[in-house]
Amino acid sequence: MTSQTPRGSQEALRDEVRAWLHANWPGRDPEAPHGWLAKVVEGRWAVPRWPAVWMGRDLDDEHARIVESEFAAVGAPGAGQDRTNLWANTLLARGTDALKEKLVLPLLRGEVGMCLLYSEPGAGSDLASVRTRADRQGDHFRVNGQKVWTSFAATADYGMLIARTDWDAPKHKGIGFFFLPMKQPGVQVRPLRQITGESQFNEVFLTDAVCPQENLLGEATDGWGVLQTALAYERSAMGEAARGPRRGMGQSAPADDPLIALAREAGAMEDPVLRQEIAKVVILKRLNALNATRAKADMRQGSSSSLMSLGKLAMSRILHEEARVRTLILGAESLLDGPDHPRADDTNFLTLNAYFTSIGGGTDQIQRNIIGERVLGLPKEPEIDRDVPFRAVRTS
Amino acid sequence: MGVLGVAVPERFGGIGGDAVLIEALMEEVGAALVCGPFLSSAVFAAALLENLGDAEISAKLLPQMAAGSLIAAVAVQDAAAAGTQSGVAPKARQEASGWRIEGEVAYVIHADAAHILLVAAETTEGLRVFLVEGNAHGLARSPLSTFDKTLRLSRLRFDATPARRIEARREATEALANALDLVRVALAGEQAGGARRVLDITVDYAKSRIQFGRPIGSFQAIKHMAADLLLEVESATSAAREAARLLSMGSASAGAAVSLAASVCGDAFVKVTADAIQMHGGIAFTWDHDAHLYLRRARADAQLFGTPAFHREQYLRAVGA
Repeated sequence: MTSQTPRGSQEALRDEVRAWLHANWPGRDPEAPHGWLAKVVEGRWAVPRWPAVWMGRDLDDEHARIVESEFAAVGAPGAGQDRTNLWANTLLARGTDALKEKLVLPLLRGEVGMCLLYSEPGAGSDLASVRTRADRQGDHFRVNGQKVWTSFAATADYGMLIARTDWDAPKHKGIGFFFLPMKQPGVQVRPLRQITGESQFNEVFLTDAVCPQENLLGEATDGWGVLQTALAYERSAMGEAARGPRRGMGQSAPADDPLIALAREAGAMEDPVLRQEIAKVVILKRLNALNATRAKADMRQGSSSSLMSLGKLAMSRILHEEARVRTLILGAESLLDGPDHPRADDTNFLTLNAYFTSIGGGTDQIQRNIIGERVLGLPKEPEIDRDVPFRAVRTS
Repeated sequence: MGVLGVAVPERFGGIGGDAVLIEALMEEVGAALVCGPFLSSAVFAAALLENLGDAEISAKLLPQMAAGSLIAAVAVQDAAAAGTQSGVAPKARQEASGWRIEGEVAYVIHADAAHILLVAAETTEGLRVFLVEGNAHGLARSPLSTFDKTLRLSRLRFDATPARRIEARREATEALANALDLVRVALAGEQAGGARRVLDITVDYAKSRIQFGRPIGSFQAIKHMAADLLLEVESATSAAREAARLLSMGSASAGAAVSLAASVCGDAFVKVTADAIQMHGGIAFTWDHDAHLYLRRARADAQLFGTPAFHREQYLRAVGA
């Protein structure tokens, strides 16, 4: 491949992916057949940027994108996991050889259930203040504490866990990062009832849970560094596919926007005041799409884009604004709820679920700090707990 | 540098730039707060002449405009205010000696410095555009006192003013609408570029101004405002550039994109310049600092060629809502 011109190598690669998909992808079936991901891994398409020893092809980003676009063109999943598979990427970057041998390929094949054990009741925005403890005992760690906001905890095989390993070090320097086995007596999972009434998240109680030494990623007190690696993969994957509300929004043409559909149905498109409010929301959505397009163009040129970090803040505003304007349109009807009143039910759900985006994954306030400091270069706030032993840090 | 010929075709000595080039240029105009009749003459008047397509008049005027020796102003009733012909346009009548114009137009941009005027007037056959010499008999130009000192506005009175009808290859209203689309994209670029510069100035100030022993930009009260303004600036930039791109392609969705950009950039420039003054504090309450100049420009720009609210309504109509 290296002997060819870049353009020739791209065309050759494109042909190869197409031929493979033609031979293996069953076509229009929306569901991937059983064993599909294993086949993608075996065909070396799951992680083309990775080295050959891990079923990759050592491709650069430009070539790897060709693989992804060909898979996307026929609707086949499984390619591009070297960008999107948070678990496998983190493990490959920082895991022990033993754990990589055991889990990397099964993770790519989708055979391992995973969850995140980061946040705690007392460690939300300030994640480095976790108080779950991991104490070394011979060839394993013993883990005690409580985690929260854990999706898929009940079915997960492993949880990516951060826990305190050194209470005398400053808060960022005494944390370990683990792949904690979830199916053991010391792990108890309890569903949380969310503000919307749904139960998507769990609390996880850890009582003398056992984690083998080989499941530690990096040094026992370098977990904060490993976490940054994991968060970078998570943000990159989230940036590709931001979670919207449960009913479709965003991608449609402006005239088909569900907000406009609701306004038409409710007769609000005749009201000049409401038309202004509706236009503002529709325009905000369009701007987010335009910003995302510019961000992608920036990334293709190799420069990290400040637009990327703005997307989440923009989405928060869109979701809250849309909910507000829907409420304006419905008026007293928004007093109602439940399946007999679908318009009100939708609107009330969106009103509450908007906080999923403005609080989850870093609150809007944390997001503004990040934008202010990392993009605009404004100085950080003084951190009074930064260089003191964690034992001495004040808690609520 | 030839920038005065940016909207003038190459065959008339200009650059023949498209909307994308003009928008990019206007981002710099906005950033530097350039004064003068660039938008009104080099963009609006030049684009209107080019759209009307009177071969003789274009060949005579456009080369001089590109060279910078001739400044033109466009007198359209209410164009400055809303971009619509909602007011009463001046009337034009044909006499043995030629066309005469009667009436008044307010809010004409940079008419005081203009050598010639392009005047939209009603005839018995509908709206037509006329050429009026700056020193024509029966033309009275009254300069208006303005809030943005860099924007010159005049009220024009025509009293049997001699005029020449500009021949048009299309309806005058259509030529005007096309020229206004380009002007709105140009203005959106100015607003986006101005907003970005003001944010840069403000962020620099927040890094260097020390109070309570810390740069004020380390306080979340300031930092969070700055983050929100960055979103405004980037969104305005995206909107202005997208409108320019679609307009230069002659896309069917250009109209919607222009309205979107006009509403977004108009609001964003005002929001950013207004918050910038608050973030600067006392220094920005004085003429020792330029912040007020940007606010004045932003508030003026938000009225020119249609307000943000006007364009929001236009956007909904353009997308069929």
